[in-house]
Amino acid sequence: MTGTICDDNITLMATFGDRTEDLEPVWKALSNATRRRILDLLSEQPRTTGALAAAFPELSRFAVMQHLRVLEEADLVVPRRSGRERYNYINAVPIERIHDRWIARHVRPWTEALVSLRHALEAEAREEAG
Amino acid sequence: MSGMEADRAAASLPERVVSIHIAAPVDRVWAEITKVGAVQRALFDTVLECELRPGSRLRYYSADRKRVFVVGEVVEVDPPRRFVHTYRFTTWKTETPTLVAWELAEEAGGCRVTITHSGWTSEHGKLAEDTGAGWRGILRVLKQEMETGRIPWKTRLMYRVMGWFSFMLPRSTRNSDQNRNGSG
Repeated sequence: MTGTICDDNITLMATFGDRTEDLEPVWKALSNATRRRILDLLSEQPRTTGALAAAFPELSRFAVMQHLRVLEEADLVVPRRSGRERYNYINAVPIERIHDRWIARHVRPWTEALVSLRHALEAEAREEAG
Repeated sequence: MSGMEADRAAASLPERVVSIHIAAPVDRVWAEITKVGAVQRALFDTVLECELRPGSRLRYYSADRKRVFVVGEVVEVDPPRRFVHTYRFTTWKTETPTLVAWELAEEAGGCRVTITHSGWTSEHGKLAEDTGAGWRGILRVLKQEMETGRIPWKTRLMYRVMGWFSFMLPRSTRNSDQNRNGSG
């Protein structure tokens, strides 16, 4: 029963699932530790490019801006102008799309895990009784 | 932290921004998000009721009109680019409304949809975060609906289950109550 639901899930996802070819830049953006750190900082609050550069004293401002550009192309960061400042906002939509496409389907539903556990325990109990 | 950032933090909590590329013409997406009087599948199967002009009262109802989820007022309508309205969810404890801005822009291969939700104060507490998760889901479903004409089966299942449990929704979501209180 659970197996059927899971198979349907995968078939339906494959047939009607989100188009994922445009997620390539997201993987690329997430593959770098500095960019992941930038996303961590932005998930606390939006920050100006200057404030972000100050958080990475070991990097040049130019290098931080390059990282921001990669994040922006991947749609993970949305810039907003406020006066002459540029504020950077995190946009978690692409991460959720990756979750839908690559993670949710491989995570065993907890209900299924509980059913298996029950079967295992019952089998064990039968063996002991027999 | 710069002086400007400190000012922003004191005055209000940061706005939330969500954005997605949709491989569909900007006019089609605009028509969907401003569709009045019929179910918008991406927006949790709600029905938008308003006039598309500034100052109009705005409501998002359940499909059967027994519940009202969002109350507000239209602030700006600039087809097919900007739709801005005030926003208060009927289950919120606070009366302080927030502001939702839909921005649509043509982009290679389709359009970009960006939602900026601002006006958050300390009264709203964790609501900004929770609502942000809602908008992200809405944009993902809207993308699929516009690109494939379908919404994911998981979303349909979720709507079905939400329907079953609608009797558990707080009294504040009842349509009659809102009509009494809210002139908007």
